Amino acid sequence: MPRFDEGRPEMTLEEFRLLRDHVYAHCGILIHEDMKFVMERRLWPRLEALGLTDFGAYHRYLRYDAQRIAELEAAVESLTTHETYFFREPAQLKAFCEELLPLLEKKNARTRRLRLWSAGCSSGEEAYTVAMLLKDSGRFDDWDVEVHGTDLSRRVLAVARRAEYGPSALRATPPDLMERFFVPAGVNRVRVRDDVRAWVSFGHHNLADEATSQLVPRTDVVFCRNVMIYFDQAMRRRVLGVIRDRLCPGGYLLLGHAENLLSLGADFELVHLKGDLVYRRPELPAGEGR
Amino acid sequence: MSDAVQSLAGQEEVRYRALQAVDPRAPGALETFTEGLHDESWRVRHAAAEGLRRLPDAEGVAARLISVLGERGETGARNAAAEALAGMGTVALRPVVHLLEHEDPDQRKLAVDILGHLGRAEVEDVLLRSLSDVDLNVRVSAAEALGRIGGEAAVRALEALLDADTSLLRLAAMEGLAALRKAPPTARVMALADEPLLQRSALRLLGLCPPGASTERICRALDSSVRSVREAALVALGTQATGLGPYERNELDAVARSVLSRIPEMTARVAQALDVEDVRIRAGALVAAGALGEASLALAVAEVAREDRLLREVLFTLGQLGADGRRLLLKNMGALSLPARTVAAEALVLLVDATSVPELCALLEWAEDDLRAVVVRALGRTRSPEALLPLVGLLADASLSGTATRALDQLIAVHPLAALAALETAVEQRTTPVAVAVLGRLGGVKVLPLLRRLARDVESSWRAAAVEAASRVSGEAGLELARGALADESAPVRIAAVRALGRQGGQEAGSFLGLALKDEDRAVRLAAVEAVGAGGATERALDLEALVRHGDGALAVLAVRALAKLGKVGSGMLWDALGHPDTEVVKAALAALTSAEGATDGAALAVSLVGHPRWDVRAAAARVLGDLGRPECLPVLQHALSVEHDALARKALVDAVARLSGR
Repeated sequence: MPRFDEGRPEMTLEEFRLLRDHVYAHCGILIHEDMKFVMERRLWPRLEALGLTDFGAYHRYLRYDAQRIAELEAAVESLTTHETYFFREPAQLKAFCEELLPLLEKKNARTRRLRLWSAGCSSGEEAYTVAMLLKDSGRFDDWDVEVHGTDLSRRVLAVARRAEYGPSALRATPPDLMERFFVPAGVNRVRVRDDVRAWVSFGHHNLADEATSQLVPRTDVVFCRNVMIYFDQAMRRRVLGVIRDRLCPGGYLLLGHAENLLSLGADFELVHLKGDLVYRRPELPAGEGR
Repeated sequence: MSDAVQSLAGQEEVRYRALQAVDPRAPGALETFTEGLHDESWRVRHAAAEGLRRLPDAEGVAARLISVLGERGETGARNAAAEALAGMGTVALRPVVHLLEHEDPDQRKLAVDILGHLGRAEVEDVLLRSLSDVDLNVRVSAAEALGRIGGEAAVRALEALLDADTSLLRLAAMEGLAALRKAPPTARVMALADEPLLQRSALRLLGLCPPGASTERICRALDSSVRSVREAALVALGTQATGLGPYERNELDAVARSVLSRIPEMTARVAQALDVEDVRIRAGALVAAGALGEASLALAVAEVAREDRLLREVLFTLGQLGADGRRLLLKNMGALSLPARTVAAEALVLLVDATSVPELCALLEWAEDDLRAVVVRALGRTRSPEALLPLVGLLADASLSGTATRALDQLIAVHPLAALAALETAVEQRTTPVAVAVLGRLGGVKVLPLLRRLARDVESSWRAAAVEAASRVSGEAGLELARGALADESAPVRIAAVRALGRQGGQEAGSFLGLALKDEDRAVRLAAVEAVGAGGATERALDLEALVRHGDGALAVLAVRALAKLGKVGSGMLWDALGHPDTEVVKAALAALTSAEGATDGAALAVSLVGHPRWDVRAAAARVLGDLGRPECLPVLQHALSVEHDALARKALVDAVARLSGR
């Protein structure tokens, strides 16, 4: 068996648990015991960068160092997968365009205002994809539209704001949309066009932090895809509470294709679209205000 | 959505909310919730079942739910009642067990299902008796339920059922055994694998058997024309490969290779399986891909890294695909997803040679940070002088400089002169102060004049780098520069000086470190504490003892560790540390106990912590007691073990008890 870990320290079970608990306390991300190997591999580069020799020293660094907050963010960033690309999960996006957008156009016709939230937006591909789909629909051209992307990682937010991407991020982008919504930005790189960027904003947000969620605008649709997988049941409930709070009554929640709200209580209605299953914050019964 | 549909949804919401608003203590709550069990909406029924569990009269609720189970034609209500009973725990046991005597076989079957979901070991006997029920469906459900509960008697009974004359029962028994991960002897399972109805369950069990004949049978099933059988075989292959030692794994791979290489279109089938949703199938497909050693599968294998849980197997499999597979990865990096790229890069580190530098440099142009770190490591392994300049340039990248330094060290060993020239140029052009440290190590006394000049540089980062580098080149010059740098207005320069002093050691350095321990900057003080330990400045032990009581846990931890290095661990200091509110200090003190020659009451100190509220402190105390080897502590450890619930603390206690018992 080839070795990929020459000279690298092994993480003891105790170190794993101390680090896991530390991460959980910070952001609610739960790392299961069978992920020790993954955690070890993802944190090795952090130890290398800091010149530390073992994971016990890394735990102490996270507890005591003046840079501990920044480092904890770097650790969380390493532990979570930022795998994302434009036009991911096309079946869901098709249902969003063909079934939800007409409903939203009708529902918000009076205010001509539309707010969408990409919760856990990573490097911005999802938020820009949503904005492109809105543009492409032609329904909201003179509306007040904002797609707000948030993430725990400040580094990926910086990438999102730059809006420059390489071939991997574009591997599922249809050629006609590629032509319409991107401009060249160097070898093998493109940049999202300014008119799309004008509809998209980004901010730092820890989904586990109920207090700062007030900073997220009230929204008509939340995309929270492949984010809940990092949380345990208790934290999922908490995050769902935050999302529900930020959704307008009758607003929609779109999860990743492998995610559902089973056994998480039923504060959302399941809506069967022709092409997808989505969740909706129930409309308030007549007479109750927002 | 039509208005009518919206209206219906609204009514459902009203009923749902109404149920949620019911006070469980209110009169009539039982009937309201029971009525809710009959609602047309699953969501409302679920809310009713949850509500019933909150009622104070649990026995009354259980009795009412049992009566709902008897309502023929009310499938939704019966299922909701069963769900509620399964969630009620012990209180539901008696009435559900009683239901097993009901004349209606459907009721008995429901009762067995509920008992299975309750998962209580005490109903094992009851379920074993249900295996003799006159109704086949009840017997099948009992076998399934035993697969959930699984004591030794259940395993024996399920194994006996493998000879039952009804396929359905044999199937349930096999599924039960598979759920319990208890494989019968391989030969017995192989015989069952020839029955088409039982084949998939038999494959599940074969996956639990040791590699060898079972592996061959599993792999043969990959030639089946039935997709579900092929998928079951892949799951079995993945299960069998899990947790094997190198020898057994080699055996599995050899057997799999000999069978799979004879199956037509196997590579295409494996490629397809690597992309399916089911993670267990993908795990098996990785094993098959590795056994085949087919380089063309490299990209598909790398993409499996999107599933974190399979990362280890992906790395292993890529290693099996050889140099051709890795070359394919390098050519296609841009088309891979991020996790695939990262894992592919890890594999590439082993492949690279002097010809790889241009491709690796191209990757550095666009790759993400995680990937760039791996590419930097790969550049170090090329042993090519062409890699020197890119690596020296990368010293300026804060997130990569550590990795780049280590990679440079590999190249310096084979190209010292070229490396020296590249580093001198980098320093002259002021690329980055990080280059100064590497230059100091490589250039030795020849570069001392340059280091002296840089120690007076206008920028603090260059001064700090020069002071630290000089201390590695020459003791005398290092001490001289460090002394001056201790008065620098910049904290990073003073930290560099402190580290240099720790490296030098000696009385003079110890005296300067005394000043640094009182520095206004916390980071300097922290560095000074470490330097005192590293430099063996025993004269500073009293300063460190005072810091053990410091409210800043970081200072206290480092002080304890430094005192342990100095061999100055006394009882007073230990008691101070063990009473510190920060548990990291307590653990540091426990770690110091074993080196505490003077601390004769070390065992008593550790014993005082085996009941600590934190699991990690209890585990550390247990380890120390095991290390100290004092048999009189055995009763305390045994008692602690009898009340310990935490798995890791228990393991430490078990080890300590074993050591002290001489086992």
